[in-house]
Amino acid sequence: MRLLPLSLTLLVAAFLGLAVTWFAVSTSRGLDSVRSGAWVGWPRSGTVKADPYARAAVARSGELPLELADGLVFLAREDDKGRPLDGRCETRIVGILPQARLWTLTVMDDGGNLIANDARRYGFTSAEMIYDTDGAIDVRLSPRARPGNWLPTGARPRLQVALRLYDAPFSFASSGGHEAVPLPRIVQEACP
Amino acid sequence: MSLPLDPQDERFDEAPRRPPLPARVIAALRAGLSGALKPGALPELWRWPVNLALAAAFVLVLAGITHIVSILSMPSLATRNGFERLSDQFDSNTMSLLPDPTPQEATLPMMDPAFVTAVCPYDLNDHPLTVRVPATADYTSVSFYTAEGLAFYALSDQAAGKVVELDLMNADQKAALPEDEEVTAADRLVIESPSQEGIVLVRAFVRDRGLKSEVRRQLEAATCAPSGGS
Repeated sequence: MRLLPLSLTLLVAAFLGLAVTWFAVSTSRGLDSVRSGAWVGWPRSGTVKADPYARAAVARSGELPLELADGLVFLAREDDKGRPLDGRCETRIVGILPQARLWTLTVMDDGGNLIANDARRYGFTSAEMIYDTDGAIDVRLSPRARPGNWLPTGARPRLQVALRLYDAPFSFASSGGHEAVPLPRIVQEACP
Repeated sequence: MSLPLDPQDERFDEAPRRPPLPARVIAALRAGLSGALKPGALPELWRWPVNLALAAAFVLVLAGITHIVSILSMPSLATRNGFERLSDQFDSNTMSLLPDPTPQEATLPMMDPAFVTAVCPYDLNDHPLTVRVPATADYTSVSFYTAEGLAFYALSDQAAGKVVELDLMNADQKAALPEDEEVTAADRLVIESPSQEGIVLVRAFVRDRGLKSEVRRQLEAATCAPSGGS
């Protein structure tokens, strides 16, 4: 009888601790993040300077993250208003990208997999993009074909978008961590 | 850390024999935790909230410890990290091209579909390695990862010139390098690996989808082999 309260307490504590761990490694890639609008980047998470949370997240996901000297990934799971990205909506990514030798924009489902489509179009590179006259991009994420820079979403209920800037000259180490660079806005409209 | 349970505590004996389970749990919890307080130190009325707070604090501290331990141990417990995935599938100390990621399968999660990737899982126990990566039509980079999947070094073709050529060795092998050789071989890049095992990963940008097969062919010339002689 005396063991019951103790084991119950231990059980609740273990469950709580592991739940927080699971949440931490599946939603974040470390404490050391850079935010810009809806985009989140973890400049040092893939390197040997990573904090324990980043190390745990990398070990669990099994990816080999970009080194900062190589490039930097920004992920967006929400639009600028904080609503989760929905593949059934018309989503526009509009704005000017920071200086970089090249960049790629990739659409993935919630689990980080590419989204199957007939055109085998999973993203754009800086070379394939059709730019506005002022150098801004205007990408449209939609379940149906759209004119211009269209990326198919396969009508997935949740999307994530990865913006990878390669060989970018700006330094994130000295930016203080918040609102480092302006990145394109993400606007969702015509949601079902 | 353990719950101070006093066997002499009368409340144990006074507990009813067979009440319904929730009541038994609550009674036991209360009995166990009020043992932490000196009997009679608090008015009877306060004891219940204080007991509850104590239980909550105990659970929180334990949960915190569980959380920290699980986070810290995850890198050593994870069996499917990037290094494991690649060294299972590809030969050690040779360069292999990865298949392009598709919606159905990708060798590694979160790969950029606009890049052609080649990997070389390495093991420096026997000898240092020479990595040679020809410049492709566009941006090419070479990154080095430890067996934990963390990058310790990266360079791009712009930093290295037409052909990226470098020697990868562990601390002992680097220390054994003749000193004059380091001076004469100024164009030879020596990378020191913090671990015996790891991954060399080459990424080559495909500017346009039509160029993919060409970039793949160019990257096939990349090699990763034991350093010949000294």
